[in-house]
Amino acid sequence: MTQAEPHHNTDAHLISDEQGNAVRDRPWIIRTYSGHSSPKASNELYRSNLAKGQTGLSIAFDLPTQCGYDSDDPIARPEIGKVGVPINSLDDMHILFDEIPIEQMNTSMTINGTAMWLLALYVGLARERGVDIADLNGTTQNDLIKEYLARGTYIFPPEQSLRIIAEMYEFCLEEIPAWNASNICSYHLQEAAATPAQELAFALANAISLLDLLKERGQFDDEQFERSVGRISFFVNAGIRFVEEMCKMRAFGELWDEYTKDRFGVKNEKYRRFRYGVQVNSLGLTESQPENNAWRILIETLGVTLSRDARARAVQLPAWNEALSLPRPWDQQWSLRLQQILAYETDLLEYPDIFEGSVVVRSKVDDLKAQAREEIDRILGMGGVIAAIDSGYMKSALVRSMSERMSAINTGEQIVVGLNRWTEGIPSPLVGGEDGGIFKVDESSARDTIASLNATRAARDPERAAAAIAVLQEAARSGASMMEPSIECALARVTTGEWAGALREVFGEYRPATGVDGQKLSLDGERVDALRSRIDLLAQKLGHRPRIVVGKPGLDGHSNGAEVIAVSARHVGFDVIYSGIRLSPDEIVQSAVEEDADVIGASVLSGSHVELTQQMMDKLGEYGAGSRIAVVVGGIIPPDDFDVLFGLGVKRVFTPSDYELIDIMESITEVIEANQDTE
Amino acid sequence: MASLDSIGQGLPKLVHEAQQLDKMAVSRLISLFEDDRLGSAALRSQALGLLDSRPDQTSGTILGLTGTPGSGKSSLLSRITVDLLAAHSSLSIAVLAVDPSSQVSGGALLGDRTRMRYLPSENRLFFRSQASQTDLGGLGPSSFQVCRLLTRLFDCVMIETVGIGQSEADIRHLADRVYLVLQPLGGDEVQFLKAGIIEIPHAFILNKSDEPTALTSYHHLRSSLWLARPFESEDLPIFQTSALTGAGLSELEAEMLGQIQQPGGSGLTTREAYFFDRWVHQEWGRAGGRYLATQLGGSAAFVQQSGGYEAAQACFSSIFG
Repeated sequence: MTQAEPHHNTDAHLISDEQGNAVRDRPWIIRTYSGHSSPKASNELYRSNLAKGQTGLSIAFDLPTQCGYDSDDPIARPEIGKVGVPINSLDDMHILFDEIPIEQMNTSMTINGTAMWLLALYVGLARERGVDIADLNGTTQNDLIKEYLARGTYIFPPEQSLRIIAEMYEFCLEEIPAWNASNICSYHLQEAAATPAQELAFALANAISLLDLLKERGQFDDEQFERSVGRISFFVNAGIRFVEEMCKMRAFGELWDEYTKDRFGVKNEKYRRFRYGVQVNSLGLTESQPENNAWRILIETLGVTLSRDARARAVQLPAWNEALSLPRPWDQQWSLRLQQILAYETDLLEYPDIFEGSVVVRSKVDDLKAQAREEIDRILGMGGVIAAIDSGYMKSALVRSMSERMSAINTGEQIVVGLNRWTEGIPSPLVGGEDGGIFKVDESSARDTIASLNATRAARDPERAAAAIAVLQEAARSGASMMEPSIECALARVTTGEWAGALREVFGEYRPATGVDGQKLSLDGERVDALRSRIDLLAQKLGHRPRIVVGKPGLDGHSNGAEVIAVSARHVGFDVIYSGIRLSPDEIVQSAVEEDADVIGASVLSGSHVELTQQMMDKLGEYGAGSRIAVVVGGIIPPDDFDVLFGLGVKRVFTPSDYELIDIMESITEVIEANQDTE
Repeated sequence: MASLDSIGQGLPKLVHEAQQLDKMAVSRLISLFEDDRLGSAALRSQALGLLDSRPDQTSGTILGLTGTPGSGKSSLLSRITVDLLAAHSSLSIAVLAVDPSSQVSGGALLGDRTRMRYLPSENRLFFRSQASQTDLGGLGPSSFQVCRLLTRLFDCVMIETVGIGQSEADIRHLADRVYLVLQPLGGDEVQFLKAGIIEIPHAFILNKSDEPTALTSYHHLRSSLWLARPFESEDLPIFQTSALTGAGLSELEAEMLGQIQQPGGSGLTTREAYFFDRWVHQEWGRAGGRYLATQLGGSAAFVQQSGGYEAAQACFSSIFG
């Protein structure tokens, strides 16, 4: 190689192909997490996103589909089509993918408790279309560990959930070799305020425990096991501290390479590679001055794209207004354009890794790795992730991290622009406009969904459906693989609720630890002392310490907000009844009645706040407790809905801009004081 | 919360509704029995009078379930109550779950209703949480009073406490039968067993028996009992259960049902002296306790002279306060 060959470039700042020509890297898969209203509306959205240059699909399912309920189940009704698309049967899949060539798609499904079912439906769709399933490409998220910890759409107990995941790996390895049967998600752990070291440790411990299980089940020979290690992929989060986040991604890659080599003896370097997709952080997005979120999203994207050695394989971005409501198509398009500019306009993809050799980066990566290893050892020492879930250890660690984060924002130690610093600003013109800058689901789409569910039930062969369910349950009991029986269920037009219901009967339904026990807040000072005295005084007047029932009605499982409220309320001197997630409005009201609570604090993030509040108010009325028990509501609630909620009798509404815990606690105390005076 | 006057005016109606197990009425009456305002004792006395005036008034059995956090008491209770109610259509059960309070703020996180998934709108089952007002657990200041109410309304009162040390003594005075719930243990923890925690219960429940160490723990427990309670160890039942798989539950449920169906029910009146003494100590400290013992002839005599538990409370408050 000599300097006489001008195009044969060896300069360190260039990427060369095998012939030595300078090339650009191919961009990551560009996606938008989307789906809403109905299969038909979502199909239109996907086709328009693909026409806009999106290169993969990322499907959001509604909560009933995620939790394994048919759309006409009473608990499902308020949630149909709210946070994603409802899928009741294979007929819905035909509509969802109408005119989309699935054999050419990379399809990512954010689905967990019912992941096996959705994969069965996708396989069923391919079979009925005559597509070879070996050509399918994509991911079922299928990480139940983070569901128990942070996201809440689990159904079955941990042991059975892990069995389902393992059976999917065993099915996919030979049948759909390019399918990621699961995706180890640390994304939701960071949303629950995990520190970078916790995110690293919990995700890797999760993956290690999964591989331990695959090995223990003994379905794979050594060669197959090695390939199955290569199928493990990750889904991570990227926060605003983007330099640290970039280092975190490098630490991820190095640690994964080390564990797969040392613990599992994987020889082929290709199968040790850390493959990950990313959605950048929503936790730090603010409701106040929401336009600032556009910059946050951009900066967070840099953390997972800047360094070539730790670059994401697929990126999806939240929308700037996520803290206000579900995003509209335009909001998603704006985020999509950001990715396209970064990938195609800038020179980012022309360079090798630009941090190689940096002493600072090396040191930071080593530091994160050491912290993570310590935590991984602790979890594995407890007996792996399932033991650490069952004992509540991981959940408590996250609730503690969240409490510390909230404390730091409250004291101003952690600066959030527009929220606790530089809060004065000109009103955003972006939230003007006819729709107020927010997305609303068309109410009629729920009726259409239920009508098509009924049509499916009416048209199917009932004997074939019943037989398919019986075979599924038999497999569940005997320990045989449930994958083929699930595919037969799909083809027989069994519904989502029937599939999950059949397995619920065999496996039972899981209720994990809430993690709020024994938590403390580092929130103190004069206002806390004053409030405690005020609550003591109130207790003397009432004859008991004020009692609050904190609850999450409906299927939305994002419990971080409710947990922080429960911990704060105890911190200032309330007696708190917190019952975790996925409660019907009836159950919450019954708790409040039996406990003779003074106030119910309900948290809803799924956009169903009006329907769920209505149901709670009706139930309180039935008990004759309407004037006795006050109701306050918190969540992602658009300002237009405030008056609707007040009209229903709600006393206070809290949104993400109410981040000062002590303000919220004073406000709730006021509500009880006022209620006591009027009675 | 209504004023005491308005509670007093509505009391007959409230008691009547509570006897039908109307949830709101039962709940409000419990609040009256937890109420620490001056003057509430008189209303309690009145409510008990109304309840006892019914000719067929019975007295329910109190079963105590105690054990360390994590032993699976709540999951176990959840299954047992649902099973018992399903098998016996006339049975009614109240659960009183007592949890520790924060010594800093006074607040508490109450009632693991998370694991207590039961039949919605079923009036035969009632679940109420209480704060112990101490950080170690055990009974709350009003647990005894509330049990006096609940035994008059329900066939069975199950009281769940986090028990450490002294608090077990309280529950043995309150409950007709005390069950200690244990989970499979390691070697060191078995030593802890010998230190006294196993001297109190009438029966043991070794929960999570689906875990691999369960059998070893069973034998450890048997031999510990043989050392700690040599004269009765053979008669002390140990139930091996799993709230997860349901194993062993039918035996435990049968034994509980036997307790509930025994004639006589709880003899709470005989326990008034103990809990009145406890109340005096909590409200007035050692000085109060000494005064009661030396000047008033002791707890039992004073309660009897005063004409009952509530009257004794009112009387003592006026003398000593």
